[in-house]
Amino acid sequence: MIAILFCACVLLILQVLTPFWWWIAVVPFLFGLLFAKKSGKAFGGGLLIGAVVWGGAGLYFFLTSGRLIAGRIAAMFSLGSGWLMVLLTGALGALVAALAAFSGYLVRGQTYTSDKT
Amino acid sequence: MRWVKAAVSFVLLAALVWALQTPHGAVPPLGKLANPFAGFWRNNASTDRVPERLDLAGLQENVRVVWDDLRIPHIFARNDHDLFLAQGYLMARDRLWQMEFIARFAGGRLSEIVGPRALDQDRFQRRIGMTYAAENFLKGIEGDDESRSILQAYADGVNAYRQSLKPSHFPVEFKILDYAPEPWTMMNTALLLKYMAWDLTGGNQDFALTRFQEALGEAVADELFPYVAPFQDPVIPPGTKWDFGRAVDERKGGPPTASGSSDTPRSRPPADPFDDVIGSNNWALAGTKTKSGFPLLCNDPHLALNLPSIWYAVQLSAPGLNAYGVALPGAPGIITGFNEHVAWGTTNAGADVLDWSKIRFRDASLGEYAYDGGWRKTTIRKEEIKIRGRAPVVEDVIYTHHGPVPFPEGGTAINPDVPPGCALRWAAHDPSGVLNTFFSLDRAASYKDFREAIRTFDCPGQNFVYADGRGGIAIWHNGKYPLRNKGQGRTILDGSLPADDWTAWVPMDEVPHVENPPRGFVSSANQSPVDATYPYYLGWDFGSFERGARINEILEATSNAAPEDMVKMQTDALSPRARMALPKLLGMVPRDRLGATAAQVRDRLAGWDFVFHADGLEPTVFDRFWREFYAAVWNDDFRSGGSSLPTPRSDVTLDLLLNKPGSLYFDDKTTPAVETAAEIAARAFSAAVAGLEKELGPIGEKWAWGKARGTEVRHLARIPGFGTPLLAVTGGGGTINNTSRTSGPSWRMVVSLGPEVEAWGVFPGGESGNPGSRYYDNMVPAWAAGTSYKIVFLRTPDEANPRLIGKTEMGGGR
Repeated sequence: MIAILFCACVLLILQVLTPFWWWIAVVPFLFGLLFAKKSGKAFGGGLLIGAVVWGGAGLYFFLTSGRLIAGRIAAMFSLGSGWLMVLLTGALGALVAALAAFSGYLVRGQTYTSDKT
Repeated sequence: MRWVKAAVSFVLLAALVWALQTPHGAVPPLGKLANPFAGFWRNNASTDRVPERLDLAGLQENVRVVWDDLRIPHIFARNDHDLFLAQGYLMARDRLWQMEFIARFAGGRLSEIVGPRALDQDRFQRRIGMTYAAENFLKGIEGDDESRSILQAYADGVNAYRQSLKPSHFPVEFKILDYAPEPWTMMNTALLLKYMAWDLTGGNQDFALTRFQEALGEAVADELFPYVAPFQDPVIPPGTKWDFGRAVDERKGGPPTASGSSDTPRSRPPADPFDDVIGSNNWALAGTKTKSGFPLLCNDPHLALNLPSIWYAVQLSAPGLNAYGVALPGAPGIITGFNEHVAWGTTNAGADVLDWSKIRFRDASLGEYAYDGGWRKTTIRKEEIKIRGRAPVVEDVIYTHHGPVPFPEGGTAINPDVPPGCALRWAAHDPSGVLNTFFSLDRAASYKDFREAIRTFDCPGQNFVYADGRGGIAIWHNGKYPLRNKGQGRTILDGSLPADDWTAWVPMDEVPHVENPPRGFVSSANQSPVDATYPYYLGWDFGSFERGARINEILEATSNAAPEDMVKMQTDALSPRARMALPKLLGMVPRDRLGATAAQVRDRLAGWDFVFHADGLEPTVFDRFWREFYAAVWNDDFRSGGSSLPTPRSDVTLDLLLNKPGSLYFDDKTTPAVETAAEIAARAFSAAVAGLEKELGPIGEKWAWGKARGTEVRHLARIPGFGTPLLAVTGGGGTINNTSRTSGPSWRMVVSLGPEVEAWGVFPGGESGNPGSRYYDNMVPAWAAGTSYKIVFLRTPDEANPRLIGKTEMGGGR
């Protein structure tokens, strides 16, 4: 849990300081590579990191000043409500982060195997 | 097998990241866009906050900006340089994407950002010489230090803002279309001016009329596309004396010069005869007709409506200058507005400043063309169009001394108005002083200043209405117009004849104008500028009589007018066409032969007040009835059997109905019988009702004009969800509140002059270009309802006003 929290914080800092969206793949990948002990935990941890950081930020903006732009973007995708954009932002972040963490975990497994042989 | 799993998973991840990083056709790069730290979430309403301080490098002294409750900036600078630097900065702050996009569109550079789907549009812009025109504009002001320094200061302001922007704060359209703003240049402003010039003078019927004349002869062409359209009430009151104090150098040298031949009649759909709904109004009342005893001036320019809004409202103040009005995003100064002394407004003049000349090339190399009995060399201008994701395309555009030949023989012209194999002579290709006009108008204090200011306004020709605080009013049908024989340039010319070259111009002092006419008002609505006594030929394809006649009818009857009356008048929705045509048409539709629904509809029309109310069904029915009638009259004559000739205008059709009901044009040539106008009208009525019933169901709310037609303000790049919903507005084509589905009044202004100038205004949008801002579309409801805001006009930055929401100190920074 501490590793998840740590990675979420690192992700948050990188996302705030730089304009690159793909930290949402890189940081969870490192989480899976360095910290996750089981494949399920890697996937779930990545999911949580992505959902909390992206979904949380989306929710923050929605509740403060982002209601109008969320509504516009929702309409652009022919979706009814700006709330859906919070869900979708969280879901997209969670999906990418989960896949990244899972990949990281599998790559580490591969490295261990190589070490043993 | 673990490595296989790991590899598959990694490849899957990489593919997902790539897919979310890249735009796919019209689908934006979703990962970038959804990233809450740098994507669309950052384009939120926090931009609405008024900053206490802004650093703007390059300011010579501090600038104070006061904001009113519509978030309109009132800029107070201590010198001109700082004023335009700050204007550029603040307009970029609200409209950076819009101004950049329009400059790209104008200069044929959209493919750079959206890929090959914009290639045809880009080729068209390049081939009609938009970049050539913009370059000529810049060359023309090379020695004009004032213009250059203003343009440069404005560009510096835009760039200062652009450079201060982190990618996370790029306007959201940059993120959706996935590109970054580039440096703003004077060239961009020049392109923007040429974009407006094409919008206002580019449309022409030369090619269509040539084909018509070739098919049916000059007499029929002159009858159905008359030199003077029916029912005209011209801009300059009939009977006005033209006293130029000298003999006029008119070119009435015999008949119109021999026209060339289009040679390549093509079957393209002619322009929609109903597209004449875009048009503008302006008028000024003398003090004798107003409550205050001082003039009132009104202007509502009509354009295809867009969000971000076409206009940017702003107050500009510096020593010797204190003006308020609307500016064009991407250009410094104020276009229509007022200051403490005078007010001005514009409508499009519509004079003919664009000719097509058939070019006879010596051989297939297109290196020489026939001229004046010999051969002249062409030049080639290379236009490189960069395309996102592809190799660039280079277009070789051939230039003659007339101008470019946009499309060679056999080429595809993209635009049906462009005849292949012809050279384009267009006044907007020449150097221009249009910006000087606005810089001077902004600080004009008298009629003399106004007069001097518009003297440099060459193209696009405009009807400039004027009023001042001392009681004077005037209107000038102002522009640089080639001196022509009657009809010269109405059809395609022979490019080898020097006689048709533009060699002289109607002197700027002799363009149609009138100052303080006895009737106590001046007005224009794109109609013919003059009656038959005016000595020069300016063109024939002016707007129809309807709005002008209605405006003049109301103003004739007006006395003791208050500003509120003018605000109301700007949304007048009475249709002169309906008032003239409907009694006659209904007389041709016997009630006893109609079914129940049609009879009910007929009764409603018979009791109609001819006003295009948003909630009435009558406008819906009349509009459809007229369209069906129009199509039934003309389609069999000019659009059947594979021919596709232009059809006459609605005003000509109305003239035929009222004054020549026995005309053979009413006969439906596709039947053996000879139909009368009455039979055609009865058929059209039945077809209209049946068509509406089929589309809208039984008579009910859906038949209301505001729902059946309505008006929407679309996003400039047509991004879905970024425009307004369909707005139930009054008015239609030919009413003062001249609306269509996608066009209408882009700005409504009423100015009450006098010792204390007061004004009202509204436009269908808001100051901000950010779709996530409260000020993106906050004025739309007022606009749709036909109300205007009282304009906040300040004499000093410290003036108290309850509608101010904040102040910003702009300093030199860094």
